[in-house]
Amino acid sequence: MAAQSMAAALAATLPAASATPVPVAPTYEAIPASMSKVIDVEAEIPLTSVQLDGLVVSKILKHAREASSIANAHGLLLGLDLDGTLEVSNSFPLPYHVADDEDKSSKSVARYQASMLRSLKEVQADDGVVGFYQASSLGAFFSQRLIDTQAIHQEKLRHGGVVVVHDVSQTARGNPHFRAFRLTTSFLDAYKKFNFSATSLASHQLTFSSILEEIPLKIRTNPLLKLFLGELGKPTHSPLSDATPDQATISALPPSFSSLNLNSGSSTKNLEQIAEVLDNYRTEEGNIGYITRVIAREKAKAEAHIAKRKEENSERISKGTFLKLWWQRKVDDHVSKGLAPLPEEDVSFIAIFEMSGSSKVQQAYRLFRIPNEPSRLESMLLLGQLDALAKSLGETSASSLVKLYGTTAGSG
Amino acid sequence: MPLGPPSSAIHIQTPSVNQNIPRTPTSITIHPVALFSILDHYLRRKDDQPRVIGTLLGTRTTSYSESSASENEIHVHSSFAVLHSENSEQVAVDMEYHRTMFELHSKVHPKDVIVGWYSTGGEGNLNTYSALIQNFYGQETAPNMAVHVNLSTGLEEGTKAGVKGYVSSPVGVFPKPENCVFVPIPVHLQFERSGVDLLTSTAQLPSSISAQPTSELELLESSLQNVAEMLDRVLAYVRSVLSGEVEGDPALGRYLMDTLGTSTDDLEKGGFTSRLQDTLMFSYLSSLVRSQAEVSSRLALVTS
Repeated sequence: MAAQSMAAALAATLPAASATPVPVAPTYEAIPASMSKVIDVEAEIPLTSVQLDGLVVSKILKHAREASSIANAHGLLLGLDLDGTLEVSNSFPLPYHVADDEDKSSKSVARYQASMLRSLKEVQADDGVVGFYQASSLGAFFSQRLIDTQAIHQEKLRHGGVVVVHDVSQTARGNPHFRAFRLTTSFLDAYKKFNFSATSLASHQLTFSSILEEIPLKIRTNPLLKLFLGELGKPTHSPLSDATPDQATISALPPSFSSLNLNSGSSTKNLEQIAEVLDNYRTEEGNIGYITRVIAREKAKAEAHIAKRKEENSERISKGTFLKLWWQRKVDDHVSKGLAPLPEEDVSFIAIFEMSGSSKVQQAYRLFRIPNEPSRLESMLLLGQLDALAKSLGETSASSLVKLYGTTAGSG
Repeated sequence: MPLGPPSSAIHIQTPSVNQNIPRTPTSITIHPVALFSILDHYLRRKDDQPRVIGTLLGTRTTSYSESSASENEIHVHSSFAVLHSENSEQVAVDMEYHRTMFELHSKVHPKDVIVGWYSTGGEGNLNTYSALIQNFYGQETAPNMAVHVNLSTGLEEGTKAGVKGYVSSPVGVFPKPENCVFVPIPVHLQFERSGVDLLTSTAQLPSSISAQPTSELELLESSLQNVAEMLDRVLAYVRSVLSGEVEGDPALGRYLMDTLGTSTDDLEKGGFTSRLQDTLMFSYLSSLVRSQAEVSSRLALVTS
């Protein structure tokens, strides 16, 4: 925390400091002689890790638990980066609006965001947006909205920002789950062109696993919080001398053994979700297949039309040359009679047809309305969800297998 | 979970004839987020600020039990910092800031209302200014009473970190805003088990930095080790009782018998095998789905 505020103070004064080099202090070896190496104004040091403060961890947990639906629990992360570590020191939830008036709600969110940042700044809290968080269930966090938001952030924010994904189902089982992600450059490239056709995917080598890249995430408690938690965890002895054993010592934070619970009951829900996503994927595949068939049929029609036109053209050209010859003769006659030549209407008409030969494909397309190639983004995201759901099912079953054998170990 | 040792204060609930008059809060339940926000605010205070104050947001619940004494609980869900300045002559609270922040918060959590205020600095900081601020917040929460949560950061010498809750009651012949008695009321902590576990385990590390995400098996291992240590302690106690070094406590013996007498026979009878088969099926299914998904995404790349 202290380092962070120092960093903020230094970052503010850096333009002046860079002009006059910081004097080297050889006696203090623990403190870097010059902070200019760890603070980059131009955001040149790449991010290597994300560090969540204890406050942020509990804020996200609370928001995810209280939100009406998991997908709505999202908010902004505030903090600062120092020497490749993105230190997230605060966060606030974003309001969720029913998507009836998209434009109005996005404006009010922007207003909310701006005034919240201003307010936080007044009480000396960090006000630099460094990314956002999103709650998810059973690891299936791939969604169109997450990718859209992150793509906007990666454009606008310093260092591109990160998205921290929190898994509610893991947390319910006693293992709070936080992961930090960023969009890969190849995905961003394809996203900017709005091109997710099969050829574009192949050229960018995109599968669901290469949409996001993971950044290592750490959790830090500041010394004050550490002291406070330590004090809370200390058991106090009951003043009553005849207290029963479970009341003799009182602790605000009793030890818990929720991870020893044998019934890791979310398997059924997990299977249901897998089936649901599989259904969605099938529907999406059906759509893509249909569009592809339409494209093939229309293309064939267009080809036939062009071939026919070509045939007609060549016929016309031969006729045209005949006409031309006929005209030529007439012109020759006129010239011989001393009259000005007539405009070669027929020839020019034929010339237009010949010229249109190069652009005939476009013309034919306009004529037949061939649909655009289908975007594969949706099906890719669904596959990603499927993979994540199956992965969390696998993890659950692996740990419950260990627990099962563990229970029989003592009695067997 | 109760915070701190039980106090010896007596909470007298005067039975009110009129049900419309709100009762005095009997207890406060506080979420760790509120406490952590206060700590963060304290960290970021200016040098000349001896203490920081802020607003507590939450809900009130009233439950009427049969013994006619109604429970009037206050749940504190979150808190935010409020600018204030105090010197020997006057105290000032930025009310406009307080209103703006409350409006912003109610956009996300429309159910939360202002329930009171917090300050840091332990019991010694309850002074005339506290009474004045309490009076101000009493107007904000009217007709209900405002509660005050005092968080001691434990940084000043001779103090321990802790949380105390108070309600105010007027004192003196003529009620004045600057005269009041802060009556302590019990404070409980309500939290997500796993989140606080994560933070406490992180706080116990020497560097206070833990890498994420941890696998479930690691957690299981540490839990099992914890249980094994406890069993060792119990075993040592039982041995010393048996050898006559310590006099046995019958109540403790009964507890041990209840706890350790649980049998795992039900698992043996078929339950184990069927459960095992289910789990193996899950594991097979999950790897099948994953490989199919992977193949499908690869095929999408080559069909161009």
